[in-house]
Amino acid sequence: MTSVIETHNVIKTYRNSTALDGVNLSLEPGKIYGLLGRNGAGKTTLMSMLTAQGFQTSGNVRVFGESPYENDRVLSRICFIRESQKYPDAFTPKHAFRSAALFFSNWDQAFADRLVDDFQLPLKRSIKKLSRGQLSAVGVIIGLASRAELTFFDEPYLGLDAVARQLFYDRLVEDYALHPRTIVLSSHLIDEVANLLEHVIVIDKGRIIMNDDAESIRGSAFTVVGSAAVVGSFLSGREILHTDNFASLASVTALGVLTPAEKREAAELGLELAPVSLQQLVIRRTLAASTGDLNAVANHSLEVSQ
Amino acid sequence: MNRIVNVMRMQLINRWTFIGIPAVILVASFGLSWLIWSLVPYEGAKYSGGSQAIMWYFLALGIQSLTMTFPFSQGLSISRKAFFLGTLGLFSIIAVVTTALYYVLSLIEVATDGWGVNGRFFALEWIAEGSGLPMMVFYFTVMMVLFLIGFWAATIYKRWQTTGLLVTGIGAALIVVGLVFYITRAELWGQVGQFLGSQSQLSVAGWLAVVGVALAGGSYLTLRRAVP
Repeated sequence: MTSVIETHNVIKTYRNSTALDGVNLSLEPGKIYGLLGRNGAGKTTLMSMLTAQGFQTSGNVRVFGESPYENDRVLSRICFIRESQKYPDAFTPKHAFRSAALFFSNWDQAFADRLVDDFQLPLKRSIKKLSRGQLSAVGVIIGLASRAELTFFDEPYLGLDAVARQLFYDRLVEDYALHPRTIVLSSHLIDEVANLLEHVIVIDKGRIIMNDDAESIRGSAFTVVGSAAVVGSFLSGREILHTDNFASLASVTALGVLTPAEKREAAELGLELAPVSLQQLVIRRTLAASTGDLNAVANHSLEVSQ
Repeated sequence: MNRIVNVMRMQLINRWTFIGIPAVILVASFGLSWLIWSLVPYEGAKYSGGSQAIMWYFLALGIQSLTMTFPFSQGLSISRKAFFLGTLGLFSIIAVVTTALYYVLSLIEVATDGWGVNGRFFALEWIAEGSGLPMMVFYFTVMMVLFLIGFWAATIYKRWQTTGLLVTGIGAALIVVGLVFYITRAELWGQVGQFLGSQSQLSVAGWLAVVGVALAGGSYLTLRRAVP
């Protein structure tokens, strides 16, 4: 058994909508996964099925090789604080952390205290009276300090200011380096988390439309900048993802990998090559998935840029 | 097992919910009753229903421990079973302690001639008849049933929202109305009265225990598929 999570054809339907449409996944231990997708794409639903907080309509979920439902052996190794996590009415953050310390065997109180300082969280204020950002901080602190073997972060940055978000990313990377574990980070702020991710899973309308190494995804496309005519002829025959025109200049993103010879040719033609951001690629792929083919996207982006 | 005990400890992290507030309610309702007794110029025994107040709070507690604490327990990866057993276990302990307290206070009440003003708060006539054990069993089962009614109602709401509560509520009301209709039609009221009059604390507690077990079973089965 090498994978932490195995799902087989997981389907979740509500009365008149399909939230998950045949999800097959396999997650390896000791990696940071990004679960990316638009609002309502099925990210939280998928994480609920994986942690047995919700129930799939059909399909099979295995976590640490077993079904997670009502299974203390599996559950005790998982932490999933949802974005809309509820807390007991009379609780303060301090109460919440003391509860978490009871159930997560790797809980590190010193680390939690440090995070409370980082996020300037008022420990003795009732949770009901916390701001959205402070509420997110409570969830982030439980997620980090629990050091669960499998930790889910569900859009953890909601309401957090830029400083707090950066602190979260920094602490996550630091602590992950010292205590490797499997982390699933759900997000729609792709550019912000792009550098953390080792593997990217993109979900759209309940389907997995991208599931690959972050490196190979970034390498799957490139951008060429230069005189519009030269760029056009250099890229002829390639699948174009996106075009931006500035006067006679063009910046065009195309799918595929350039050979060293092609790179030399580009340099000789006076063209500049640039990497493509993960966010751009995810947006293109998501739009392509909803419209059905890449040409439609290329046309769409042309319209946008004009 | 360890996780069940931890659920109890988690429910007690904020001591106000399970200990502080019931204590305040008890002291306040008793204090008010005492004040009223001492003001009423009546020589006979003066009864107060104030000892119920805490029991109605237990109904609210049943609702609260599910609506607020259950979603949180899911976030801490607690299984539904551990949550159920821990919460019910803790509440049973609280009910036992409250019952014992009521018993001791009822002894004091009798010994001090109703707290010096001939008041009756804990040693209520029918409930306190005879020895202490039936009275304690009675108080205990009443508390458990009220807590479980709140807990199950909240679980039903959690799973099927307003529709679920409406269907259960209307269903329960229909059963009661149907029963009343049948008793009236069959002219059985006399027998019903006789039956009720012949009940002792222990037999009522027995009926309540049956209801309590049914409520606990129903709550657990409903909770097993509840989503935070």
